[in-house]
Amino acid sequence: MRDRGETIRNGAIQLLLAVNAVIMIYPLFVMVASSFKTNAEIFSSPLSLPTHFSTANLEKVWTETNFVRYLANSVGITAASVALILLFSTLAGYAIARYRFRLSSLVLMFFLSGMTVPLKLAIIPLFIQLDTLGLVDSYLGLVLVYVAMGIPSAVFIMTGFLRTLPRELEESARMDGASELRIMWSIMLPLARPALVIVAIQNAVPIWNDFFFPLVLITSDNLKTLPQGLTVFVGEFTTDWGVLFTGLTLAALPITLLYIVLSKQFISGITQGAVK
Amino acid sequence: MAEGWRHSERAFPWRRSLWIAALLTPALLVMVLFVLWPLLSAFRFAFYEFNGLRPSGFIGLENFRQVLFEKPYSDWTWNAFKHNVIAFLALMLFENGTAFLIAFALLKALPGHRIHQVIVFLPVVLSAVIVGFLWKLFLHPLFGLVNQLLGLVGIGAIPWLGNENTALGSILFANIWHWLGFPTLVLLAGMQRISKDVLEAARLDGAGDYALMTKIVWPLIAPSVTIVTILTFIGSFNWFEIPYVMAGLTGSPGGSTDVLGLYFYRTAFGSTTTGIQDFGQGSALAVLMFVFVAGVTAIALRYLRRREIEQ
Amino acid sequence: MSRRRIGLALAAASFAWGFATSLAHATDISFWTWRQEDKAAYNELFADFTKANPDIHVKFESFPDENYPTIVSTALAGGKGGDVIHTHAYGWLEQFVKAGYFEPLDMATVPSLANQPADALVSGTYRADKRVYSLPFASQTLGLFINKDVFAKAGLTPPTTWDEFITVSKAMKEKGIYPLANGMGTSWFNEMFVAIFTNPFLGQDFVSDLTSGKTTFKDPRYVAALGKLLELRPYMPEGFEGIDYETAGQLFLSGKAAMLAGGSFDIATYRSQNPAINMDFVAPPLAKAGDTPQATKFFDGGYAVNSKSANKEAALKLVKWMGTKEFGDKFSALLGNISPIKGVVIKDELLSHVAKLNETAMPHINVVYFRFEKPTGSELLQGDITKMMSGSITPDQLAADLTDGLAKWYKPFQGK
Repeated sequence: MRDRGETIRNGAIQLLLAVNAVIMIYPLFVMVASSFKTNAEIFSSPLSLPTHFSTANLEKVWTETNFVRYLANSVGITAASVALILLFSTLAGYAIARYRFRLSSLVLMFFLSGMTVPLKLAIIPLFIQLDTLGLVDSYLGLVLVYVAMGIPSAVFIMTGFLRTLPRELEESARMDGASELRIMWSIMLPLARPALVIVAIQNAVPIWNDFFFPLVLITSDNLKTLPQGLTVFVGEFTTDWGVLFTGLTLAALPITLLYIVLSKQFISGITQGAVK
Repeated sequence: MAEGWRHSERAFPWRRSLWIAALLTPALLVMVLFVLWPLLSAFRFAFYEFNGLRPSGFIGLENFRQVLFEKPYSDWTWNAFKHNVIAFLALMLFENGTAFLIAFALLKALPGHRIHQVIVFLPVVLSAVIVGFLWKLFLHPLFGLVNQLLGLVGIGAIPWLGNENTALGSILFANIWHWLGFPTLVLLAGMQRISKDVLEAARLDGAGDYALMTKIVWPLIAPSVTIVTILTFIGSFNWFEIPYVMAGLTGSPGGSTDVLGLYFYRTAFGSTTTGIQDFGQGSALAVLMFVFVAGVTAIALRYLRRREIEQ
Repeated sequence: MSRRRIGLALAAASFAWGFATSLAHATDISFWTWRQEDKAAYNELFADFTKANPDIHVKFESFPDENYPTIVSTALAGGKGGDVIHTHAYGWLEQFVKAGYFEPLDMATVPSLANQPADALVSGTYRADKRVYSLPFASQTLGLFINKDVFAKAGLTPPTTWDEFITVSKAMKEKGIYPLANGMGTSWFNEMFVAIFTNPFLGQDFVSDLTSGKTTFKDPRYVAALGKLLELRPYMPEGFEGIDYETAGQLFLSGKAAMLAGGSFDIATYRSQNPAINMDFVAPPLAKAGDTPQATKFFDGGYAVNSKSANKEAALKLVKWMGTKEFGDKFSALLGNISPIKGVVIKDELLSHVAKLNETAMPHINVVYFRFEKPTGSELLQGDITKMMSGSITPDQLAADLTDGLAKWYKPFQGK
């Protein structure tokens, strides 16, 4: 309490933050609360809490839609894409960071320039390309696009990180006669775990949330991802708001829970993508 | 055995090269197949007429002429472009402006600031599809949350997404709600990098909060401002998901929310009752958007980086 | 080793699964459509088909309306897609036929084509080679839904002429009921709204003048008819600019609105959403008393066979069956759509009203004549109509934009 002015100022700041917090959270709160209401209840008293917690909407989503399938597809596609991004970019980053070879800076430049390309704009040739390879409307086609999108910044981060690792470890392992593969796999990569986590989160969130590429590349209902499935779902239940809010809540749930547990990693992963 | 490797390296230099090549190949292959080649093709396709999904004939600059100068296409292009520009300016002012204020408030590290960071960033991790549908329901003229709340203070049913004058603003609002946490935390990180000594010295010199904000913090977070500006610019010109979900493919009502992303998608892939798909015109639009965004970004980066150095 | 064994087991399992499914039914074919809401009815129809053709099973797969053309063209271009594809008609169909994605239908493969009237077949015919590619499935009629209970309660009679419509609407509004449920929030529905209310003022003469190249949309008759739409604004819900197709339907079904300009294709949906509703479907308000009632009629689309289908024979068999009276009768009964198939009996009273309206109906001008090239009449009209209704452009401007836009490819409009 240095002076009254300070207290008032801090009070004003807390007020501003409180208002902002309400604006951020209240809509999500209404979304969750509405998912327990009947349609009539939402229309007649949208602001009140549900009078009794009805799980009818939940049952409807569970039994009458392909929701679970969409969820499983999203999990599978995100996991596969992130795994391949980690694998490919670590290998490439390792080559650039740990070996000196003639084209290394050129190769790095090539990857870096990939960061500036908005792949959305190349969707037409990308589509034709995948079509030629027979990969339109398949998991693999979508995964490869995500991998291509994720590699540039992942290579950048991995190269930067792997460069900071001390040479001595590698040298002494080499003296002991370890093979290059062994040095990479059991000595260097375990040290790179923090960077791998950043790369994983940075790629997993946008892939999990992506709508554009599945919209163009996936047509079979059985292959649709969650955001895309959500549009199908909204088309089928347009007038049943209770079910709609339930669908939105369920779609938001997995990543929200994960975020609450790992908020620090999420925030640094996603904002570091910006500060590359 | 260390000699062993060196020995074998000397004896089999191809072994080392092969190992490096093996490490690089998967990533390079994916990049060439799914980034480089499509990108080059995009430029090529813009000069072709299309029949369905296959190019049928070289037509020079015809596609470009149509989307830029021939009515009604040119009207649609410029109309969409205008909305992208509005979106960029509005996001700079309202999203990044608010983000700056909140970041500054969080810099004080008053009780609860950590929780606030988690809260403000929560919508960022949600899909734009979820955010778009949520706000579409909230903005419904008769049953939506927003009008119900306004009804409490006696304001009548406003067709937020149905009126040309409010639709774009409403969609921008949803977008700001979605993304606010991102610039907030990027700017906050920039502010936290300013050394405590500098801030303390300024305080001792009697600088108030306002002077501190404008004279010290703002200039010193120039690198973060650069990043936020560039990303907002790129984001505004690639804007697609939220307008698609909230205003549909045609940018309703009456094209008042049409943006280049929607117009590009509609041109390339057609829409239910109206369009006939045209990959040639679509490619021309994509090339123009790419050249514009890349060009402006390069120039802006140069200018903004200079500002950083001068500071 | 164990990882390898798991891999082998997985491969074996997936192989066995694929094998088993292929043994289970002789032929599985799929039917693609944008009519998500018709799933139950189609499954019932397909069950009948399978009863007659036990070796063919049909799977119903539906997609969101807005993405349907993208999905279909994407899939077809990749040599995939449903075996039988539900198509829209006219220009929509043409772009796919042009690319060679559909199989031509003829009397040899699909003898049931003989059951179709000539104007229906036009909707599925490719103009360049005069062959039929899509078997027409329904004629759609656009008109005015009336909630009879709401009118009875208000003590009013449903209007027949424009003047009556305005008087009744005023009275209805005073009683706190929205006279007309429609809004401007859904662009394809807006286009129907325009057709419904302008057609009685335009008349068949205008259509023949327009299609014979004697006039354009700048015709004073068209501009005047558009001007009439502006008179409807006070009788639409507040915030009508943002009221979409679904909301309009809800307002009408819940009795909050007395009338709704819409299509006969929604009769079944509305009945299922509110089984208690007591509604009528009538011609839109006449320009003056004594005129012929003029609803709007068009053929929505049809059933086409994917030319890359691996089961073309089965697919053709299904389409052939979908052209029979047996299918048409049940289709009309289940979905409340009017099948164009000759001799189909329409038992439902409301639907038989609709069928009667069809005898004097006008065409849905943009859909039938102006969807063949870019820019389509539909995209031009849909872009401008919300602007006109919100007052930012005049009917004259809309008419000019529409004419000038179409003049790009429609020769008779060039230089006019």
